[in-house]
Amino acid sequence: MNCKVGQPLPNLPRRKFLHTSSLALLGLAGGGIPGISRAVGGDVLHIRNYQDLSSLDPVSFVSSAEGMVMTAIFQNLLQFRSDGSWDTQPDAAEYFEQLDATRYAFRLKPGQMFTNGHGEMTADDVKFSFERVVDPSMHALNLPDMGPFSHVEVHDRYSGVLVLRSPYAAFIPVAVAGPTGVILSRHAVTAGGGRFTTNPPACSGPYRFKSWQAQRKTVLERNPLWPAGKAPFSQIHVYAMTDEKAAEMAFEAGQLDCARISVESTGPFERDMPPGGSIRILPSGRNYWLGMNRENSALADIRIRQAIQYAIDAQAVVEAAWFGLAPVSTGPIPEGMIGHRERSLIPPAGNPQKARQLLTDAGVTLPLRLRLDVNNAALELTAVQVMQWSLKKVGIEVEIRAQDSSTFLTIGREAVNNRWRDVQLFMQSFTGMADPYYSLTWFSSSQLGIWNWERFSNEEFDRLNQRAIETTDPSERSKMYRHMQDLMEASGCYRFITNGVMPQIYRNTIEPAFRADGYAMLRNIRPAAFRSRS
Amino acid sequence: MLAFIIRRGLLSLLILFLAVSLLFGMIHIAPGDPASVMLGPRATPELKAEFARRMGLDQPLVMQLGTFYARLAHGDLGVDPFSERKVSEIVFEQLPFTLILVLTAIGGASLVGIPLGCFSAIRRNSLLDRLTAVMSVAFIAIPSFVVALYLLLWLAVSLRWFPAIGAGETGNYADQARHLVLPAVALGLGWVGYIARLVRSSMLEVMEENHIRTARAFGLPERTIIVHYALRIALLPTVTILGMGIGSMLSGALFAEIVFSRPGIGKLLYEAVLTRNYPIVMGAVLVTTGFFVFSTLVSDVVNAMLDPRLRERPGE
Repeated sequence: MNCKVGQPLPNLPRRKFLHTSSLALLGLAGGGIPGISRAVGGDVLHIRNYQDLSSLDPVSFVSSAEGMVMTAIFQNLLQFRSDGSWDTQPDAAEYFEQLDATRYAFRLKPGQMFTNGHGEMTADDVKFSFERVVDPSMHALNLPDMGPFSHVEVHDRYSGVLVLRSPYAAFIPVAVAGPTGVILSRHAVTAGGGRFTTNPPACSGPYRFKSWQAQRKTVLERNPLWPAGKAPFSQIHVYAMTDEKAAEMAFEAGQLDCARISVESTGPFERDMPPGGSIRILPSGRNYWLGMNRENSALADIRIRQAIQYAIDAQAVVEAAWFGLAPVSTGPIPEGMIGHRERSLIPPAGNPQKARQLLTDAGVTLPLRLRLDVNNAALELTAVQVMQWSLKKVGIEVEIRAQDSSTFLTIGREAVNNRWRDVQLFMQSFTGMADPYYSLTWFSSSQLGIWNWERFSNEEFDRLNQRAIETTDPSERSKMYRHMQDLMEASGCYRFITNGVMPQIYRNTIEPAFRADGYAMLRNIRPAAFRSRS
Repeated sequence: MLAFIIRRGLLSLLILFLAVSLLFGMIHIAPGDPASVMLGPRATPELKAEFARRMGLDQPLVMQLGTFYARLAHGDLGVDPFSERKVSEIVFEQLPFTLILVLTAIGGASLVGIPLGCFSAIRRNSLLDRLTAVMSVAFIAIPSFVVALYLLLWLAVSLRWFPAIGAGETGNYADQARHLVLPAVALGLGWVGYIARLVRSSMLEVMEENHIRTARAFGLPERTIIVHYALRIALLPTVTILGMGIGSMLSGALFAEIVFSRPGIGKLLYEAVLTRNYPIVMGAVLVTTGFFVFSTLVSDVVNAMLDPRLRERPGE
């Protein structure tokens, strides 16, 4: 179990209190009421999804919430392993090989059937699925995932070649193994009008789609046509639960087998886990950092930005906001991914003395007053309050401006208004994808005023960003990405905080399976006794 | 009576038009970007432009409002830019869950609150009256979400008598009823106290009026006086408040829908506002505002039926 126990807090005997008080009331009532809530267990998996589905179509799904379901009911050529790495293994493909920088050959396993009578999966279905995403008339939301993908050459019923216009190192993890690259049945999709949302016309994965009830749940059931044997559960009920606290209580009430929980509840669950439950604290793949707008006059001097970098005690930030469960990050690329740095240029706890010296060298009159914009989520607010405290110690007074996520996401956008000029400090975060390109490309010059709110612009960074995505040698790529993070940090525009954690609780009646970024892999979850039976 | 209903109906339509137009302006003034919220960094400028086109945001605000009403005239609330489903379908899918919750909560609160208030007034200053007073204030004072959380912890988590999440299996009414108990109690408990206090004070006032004394002088049974003469009048302000209460519960249902992970229009609206999904926001706002205006209209009509003087007054 990958657990870190935080500082012990006083134990709240809530459960004992509830049991005692309820027994007393029951006694007063003079009788008992038979238990009527449904308990989980058996052949059905009950699991939380962090939001409702909006589409299961690879051209229009919007989040990992959908991706989690899609990879259970469809097949990709390759799939991610469930060992916590970003490595891939064959899924629908029995053979997959990179022929050269822009061509990938595949051969499908014969006998893989689509449900609802749509026949066997063929190379033509692969061609249809991939080319559909890049078809301009589809207006695919996930078009960027395909990079420079061009077309598929079909050689025979089962084999073909995926062709790119230029080298694209993220092609396998993002396009081939990700939800954008699931293989659909040409026959089924075309017959259904060419698009679908939450009613997939045919499935091919270990589970098939049964029903979707908006804001309630999605039900998957065992696919009898799945050629690789019997799927572990007869049904999977995926509940759309935006609120983590509701999910925690549902788990305690016995209505869920597995749920992602909030960071602040991790400690209480570790200390007072309901019987038969376990917890895993997984890496989240999310990147949290403090950004500094170098084009704002107050932060134009690099020494001021560096002073802020050194003033912030990132260790204290993660202790307070993440309860010490998450390590301080060394950059946007998380551990376990190509290009992860072992250490950052700024020490995790900072160096207040050096910060003061830098402010003196810059000739700053203290106190220096700055604004810090942040999304109004509890975790981020806690984090920026600790930063505020760190900065105050060196004479920088920070005014925190919290705003809802949708408003916050526009503050650095040139296309929206001129507010980006007033932006000084901001705490930002986003979840990366399965390739380091998607952790760093947002900081290139082409993203100025779009996602690059720091206005960081470095020719070497831009050049490496382009070279790295075209380089297939992992060690070469890794070197480039590490250097790119050095360049970011040396600019003084970034104070990296953490890559976060994703705590998951589950019953011991199941063997959970998670991706490297902490998301559940539905098709790989099994009943605890399943392995010994099979 | 018919003229009264027509007058009230037209006024309700005007209120609905003004409220929806005002909300339309407010929603669009607030900064935000739906594509960025939903897609994160993958939201390229091209995608953002595509989303703006799908939502009609590339048009001037007045044009957008005009388009909204023109579509509405044909019963079309637009399309959700993410799921590409009809907004009307999405909204009306969720509405029954909220309505059943609100009506159960307000119905339950009335069933308990009205007799309690009535009894307190009849047995004024008795032990039960004092006890009711204390409990009523307590019910009003405790925030509904606190009640919801403790009910959940106690009856669902600890005792497991009731389910903690969801709305029950489709078609299984017993299961749906079980799922309704805790959220309805959480939502309606405060209203029990409120209704009880209101009925009590109205009853005390009415019991002092001349026609009640006259009825007593004629020797009518006390039960007949209370039920047929006093309570009928005393319920007037309660009916008005219940009409307003349904409207306020529509928004109050949000916490119950989140805490109990129930589907419903409150949760739908909340999430749509956060993601700036304007078509869903407008559709949900229109329906909830419409329902609020309608419930107020119904309470006016019921009041007019209970007290004929109301419909006879000029200008009413």
